[in-house]
Amino acid sequence: MKNSILYLLLSCTLLAACEDNILETVPYGQSTSSQFWRNADDAVAAANAMYEPLVVEDFYGHAEHTFDIPSDDQFRAGDHGEDQAIESFTFDAGNPQLFYSWRHKYEVISRANAVLINVPDISMDQNLKDRTLGEAHFLRGFMYWRFLVIYGGVPLILEEDVLANEYNKERASMEEMQAQISADLLAAADLLPESHDADDLGRPHKGSARGLLAKLSLYQDDFANAIEYGQQVLNGPYPLAADFADNFRVETQNNPEMLFAIQSLQGWQENTHVIYTTPRPWGGWDFHEPVQDLIDEFEEGDPRLDYTVYQPGDMVDLGGDRGVTPYTEDLSSTGYHFRKYSSWRPQGGLNMSHNSPILRTADVYLIVAEAKIRSGLNGDAEINAVRERSGRTPMTNATMEDLIHERRVELAGENQRHQDLIRWDKAGLVDIVALYQKDLGPLKPPRNFERPKHYLFAIPQREIDLSNGVLTQNPGY
Amino acid sequence: MNEKLPIKRGTRNFLFAVQFLALLAFCLPGTSQANEIPENVWDLTIQGTILDENGQPMPGATITVAGSNTGTVSDIDGKFSLTVPDQASIVVSFIGYTTQTIEVGNRTEFTIQMIADETSLNEVLVVGYGTQEKRDVTGAVSSIKGGDIQNLPVSGAAQALQGRAAGVNVVRNGGAPGNQGSIRIRGTGTLNNADPLIIIDGVPGGNLNDVNPNNIESIEVLKDASASAIYGTRAANGVVIVTTKRGDFDQPLKFELNGYTGVSNAIKTIDVLEAPDLALLKRERYTNDGLAINPIWENPAYQTQQTNWQEELLGQGSTRNMDLTLTGGNKNSSFMLSGGVFEEKGMITNSNFRRLSFRLNSDHKISDRFKIGQNLQLVSINQVSPNTLSAQTGVLWSAIRFHPGLPVRNEDGSYSSSQISGEFGDINNPIFTQETQDNNNTSHKLLGNVQAEYEILEGLKVRANLGLEGAISDGYNFNIIVNDQIRASPRNSLSRSYNEYYSLLAEYFISYDRVFADLHKVNFVGGYTTQTFNSDGFNASKLDFIDESFDQRFLDVGQTLNSIGGGKSYDALASYFGRVAYDYDERYLVTATFRSDGSSKFAPGNRWGYFPAFSLGWRISEEAFFQNVGFISNLKLTGGWGSLGNQNVPGLQYLALISSGRRYSFGGNQTVGAAQTRIPNLNITWESAQMTNFGLDIGFLENRLLANFNYFIKDTKDMLIAPPTIGSIGTAQIPNQNIGELRNQGLEMELLFRENKGKLFYSVSGNASFIKNEVTQLADGNFIGSRLYGRSSQELSRTYEGFPIASFYGWRADGIYQTTESIQNDPNVANDPRRSEGLIQPGDVRFIDLNGDGLIDEQDREVIGNPHPKVVYGLNAELGYGNFDLSLFFLGNAGFDIYNADRMQGIDPTYPFNMYAETINRWNGQGSSNEIPRMTTKRDNLNHRTSDLFLEKGDFFRLKNLVVGYTLPEMLTSRVGVTKARFYVTGQNVFILTGYTGMDPELGYTDGNLQLNADFAQYPQARSWTIGTTITF
Repeated sequence: MKNSILYLLLSCTLLAACEDNILETVPYGQSTSSQFWRNADDAVAAANAMYEPLVVEDFYGHAEHTFDIPSDDQFRAGDHGEDQAIESFTFDAGNPQLFYSWRHKYEVISRANAVLINVPDISMDQNLKDRTLGEAHFLRGFMYWRFLVIYGGVPLILEEDVLANEYNKERASMEEMQAQISADLLAAADLLPESHDADDLGRPHKGSARGLLAKLSLYQDDFANAIEYGQQVLNGPYPLAADFADNFRVETQNNPEMLFAIQSLQGWQENTHVIYTTPRPWGGWDFHEPVQDLIDEFEEGDPRLDYTVYQPGDMVDLGGDRGVTPYTEDLSSTGYHFRKYSSWRPQGGLNMSHNSPILRTADVYLIVAEAKIRSGLNGDAEINAVRERSGRTPMTNATMEDLIHERRVELAGENQRHQDLIRWDKAGLVDIVALYQKDLGPLKPPRNFERPKHYLFAIPQREIDLSNGVLTQNPGY
Repeated sequence: MNEKLPIKRGTRNFLFAVQFLALLAFCLPGTSQANEIPENVWDLTIQGTILDENGQPMPGATITVAGSNTGTVSDIDGKFSLTVPDQASIVVSFIGYTTQTIEVGNRTEFTIQMIADETSLNEVLVVGYGTQEKRDVTGAVSSIKGGDIQNLPVSGAAQALQGRAAGVNVVRNGGAPGNQGSIRIRGTGTLNNADPLIIIDGVPGGNLNDVNPNNIESIEVLKDASASAIYGTRAANGVVIVTTKRGDFDQPLKFELNGYTGVSNAIKTIDVLEAPDLALLKRERYTNDGLAINPIWENPAYQTQQTNWQEELLGQGSTRNMDLTLTGGNKNSSFMLSGGVFEEKGMITNSNFRRLSFRLNSDHKISDRFKIGQNLQLVSINQVSPNTLSAQTGVLWSAIRFHPGLPVRNEDGSYSSSQISGEFGDINNPIFTQETQDNNNTSHKLLGNVQAEYEILEGLKVRANLGLEGAISDGYNFNIIVNDQIRASPRNSLSRSYNEYYSLLAEYFISYDRVFADLHKVNFVGGYTTQTFNSDGFNASKLDFIDESFDQRFLDVGQTLNSIGGGKSYDALASYFGRVAYDYDERYLVTATFRSDGSSKFAPGNRWGYFPAFSLGWRISEEAFFQNVGFISNLKLTGGWGSLGNQNVPGLQYLALISSGRRYSFGGNQTVGAAQTRIPNLNITWESAQMTNFGLDIGFLENRLLANFNYFIKDTKDMLIAPPTIGSIGTAQIPNQNIGELRNQGLEMELLFRENKGKLFYSVSGNASFIKNEVTQLADGNFIGSRLYGRSSQELSRTYEGFPIASFYGWRADGIYQTTESIQNDPNVANDPRRSEGLIQPGDVRFIDLNGDGLIDEQDREVIGNPHPKVVYGLNAELGYGNFDLSLFFLGNAGFDIYNADRMQGIDPTYPFNMYAETINRWNGQGSSNEIPRMTTKRDNLNHRTSDLFLEKGDFFRLKNLVVGYTLPEMLTSRVGVTKARFYVTGQNVFILTGYTGMDPELGYTDGNLQLNADFAQYPQARSWTIGTTITF
């Protein structure tokens, strides 16, 4: 008896000691990168994942829109302490707003790079493979484009850098940035389909890539290419929506005019910018209030005003118990709110399936018009296409002044104005310093825009600190 | 025995105990034997009974004739008989009890009651895979007796440990019910998880809050490398060993009933502005800025003081405990059975903690050589915790800031709301938030093990310990539709989560204990152990519940599926360990330990870590030359060095993981994607801590005064840190890397004085730890950031090389500009464009231009404060007189800073919130204030940026516990069959001395170890009073 117990204990000990594989474990429910990238499903899953960071609150869900609050269209409103400094050009490199979207842009790039590295080796349907690679090129180009207009050159992380594990790179020059964006967008235009069927609406297509190429070219004063790429879009299956407002209604927001938009789906992946732009008593967070100066820019009777802003006297159906509710002046400190980003569900509450527009055919019309006018050609056809959709009288021999007016009212609140003004100031078409010195009321007092310092925002101090001197700051900061 | 030297009492006790155990083991029970003594030398035969502290017969006590080594031991009924010379005294002793000397005189009958000696040198310490007598211990071990923490009105042993032992700092993370705080042994040992390893009755990995503190026999804290190296795997942050009570063999049944109940109240609230003053200051900020005053501040409807929101929120809490313990045993088996319920309702509505506990411990002698023991603990815990850490929705944060001119409820019964105006801030009515909150977490846990021990040869034992720890956790959270508050939520939702966790432990080891030639005492233990950890769970969430009635808050009712998820994980440890202790002639002590550990958390090839330790001890007081030093009764010097491991980081970090579930939509259709969510670190391996320890034990006055000193240096190497990484990598999780180094060094002191004079008993004890923490290396000289504060994401804490972990980081302020000239002449802003633009005005804060470039920017920040106390101390005084007992326990922390972030925002007029009452003393003209900036809506000068303006001394000294008890005379109680009946009153947090202006200086951690003592308006600790009774029968 005693001996047998002893043997039992000893044998347990020995048995246990031999159990060498007890330390083996696996990541349940997850794959390692070596197990992934097997087939078309994996490729599409990897492509779908590229879009996810776009919609987060620290990117297009809110933060990216803050780069337009210096413009003369809006008062920042809201309660983000760091925003005042952005709006008044008193920010320094430590302002947290500067880094919110930085890493999310790079996350999209990182996921795009992973697709560009791994998908070519997957054996799958060629059309699907082309689309997937095209999406990756488009998104990478789009991200570097946003980096370019906000910060200038940034580290260009491409496939070879990922493979070499090289992330702490020097900033690329403006020219290198433009070349890379252009290359990516050309590849995307080549690989992507002309359009998508209903299940894939929201993925970029040839029109998205060419439209962005047109914009890139215009920002480089390359008017010929702006016209060339722009015309390809205008000749493509991307007609203006019948009604300007169709672009900002949930039911029609993915109409062909919407060349690219950040998609939102209630209860799944929601665009919080919808909440940010809505009055507080209506369930919003009350950011980005339009100022009187923008309202005054609209021509008498321009229907676009009604769908761009809420004005006192507007009756809005908030759904549910509240039903039709008047918009009153005390909902806003400027008296107005942007309307382009909100709609309500019949049972009440904000409809969170409201997209964030990035690029519309109307924008491309105005890009082509601007390129034509600035290269001495006539842009009437393009500018009037936009005007006539909203019942405006056609123009003849439209000038840059007309074009500037048209862009302001057509694209108000769509994160364009501050960058437009910088582009025109560089070209000597407007005086941004004087414009921003204008007293637009107590909430929007004169501000000091310093040339050339404020053409670009500061590189986030955090990134400079972490790069150990590899990243350099923009001049003046 | 050595005839030349008088034998120390302790030695004698020990040897007699060994002798008795030997008798017990080899003779039939009940046949105690007196030594062979020639009859004619002795004059008197005496008889007697030895009783323990509860009046039960005590077998095995040693009774000797004073000045000789002649004696006997008491039998199974506690009886003894001994023949003694005339005029003799007898000495009665037993391990763990105070030795008594009694004059025989003419008496022949004795009834001797033994008194438990909780601090004697004979104390046996549980040291991991065995026990050691305290005097033989060469490492640093602190021990807390269960009696010291019994019936304190706290949810768990962690709280009760606070201040009880030097080097053991229990950091209270606020006072929410059931929040047990963080235990830090010898400083914060690492930037990652620095919690010590908890071992409950031999099973590593449990939770202190699961144990009913009244079931605890003792808690041992292994502090230095030599003591804890036997648990090398997870010992780098110290080891806490909890031993629960057990029954004794041949013990009659004994019931013990503990019950107490009490109330708790807020100690302090923050004075905030009343409605009229608030409106005045809000108007002033518009006037100062030349802006039109928002009409809401002119509206008299909101200028009548209506509600003190903190008083509304902080009501009266309650604490209730009832437990019953039954112990007993016969010749072959003994048991302890206990059940209890503890319930704590917090001061804030809907914050509760409830624990139902059950415990069964038993021991069985199968044969003289074969013993089996068993422990089983079943616990069910239910916890409801409010959010008190958010500076956007925290419920106490909200109460400080909600408009004081609004009622709790409107006349129609609805909750008041700041939807009235954006000027009232985006805060929901805190009473609404708290009363409509519906969440709770329930967990059912099991902790059990079976231990078997077989003695092959004398002193050589084979032992096995098989254990199971299991937990089922169930989370429930229902969010109602909120339409009438400013932070609206248009849809309701229910989330449930369910997780099963179990851990299997197997330990097989041999131990060998022998004394050779009365001089060489050898103790060896060695073996092999494995522990596996399995976790498996799922969660689901649905939206759109048509009916929000409580009986409809089930997943079935929700109309829209929101999410379903689930996952599983497995981790394992395998280890070989050994310890040899050698003691020569009770004078020279050596302990050597070695452990080799494998962890599944690391890649094959990096899995095994090797952790050696050794220590030496010299009991100087046993040396011949020391025998004349009369006033020192014990003196021991120890020293040791060892290496310990830490692998307390997430597993599988050596793999590049692709996670699916990345959400997006196309054309209104849900899609999921898959992306790499973690960068791999192929080289990840053990973090280690190397510790050197020197100890000194001194006993004075026959050991009535005991002192213990320890000095240590603990160096953490290859510290596992996920460093901040350049954004160009994206947002994938950065893996832990073995890059940091950290040093904790310090001095610990423990003092105890006790005296027993007839009816009077008193003791005074104190402990203090002086610990310095410094990060000695971080990757690339960078810093590690921490949790940001509030909407404007203010940085409060940074961890820098050369400074303590979680140092406060910010600007330096130097008063307030009183005049325009003082701004114009200020070299701090000589080149600051804001000055020329008129953005700095009188009433703004003067910040110091640390880098001398004439402008205030990011470069002008530095480390401005240290959140770690220079000294943590505890003082305990106990007084017993007859049937009365009194105990006072004081706790203190000194030499540290608190960053009062709540006040920083509380006097900041740019937020649309109520402000601290002191804001009325703001700067509003030359000379009006040099502390509180002017009222403005603008942030041009960022007056309320993170600066030393909001740094305060955190030093405090508080009467943590006060207990007054009365035990009914036994003659009274014994008539009704009650052995002991004690009634008591307990006060918790009775008073506090502190200069800190916030609610409570015990703020704790807010972001792992990376942020400490930052005031976010945490759930404060309460003052509580309880009454209770303990009845034994």
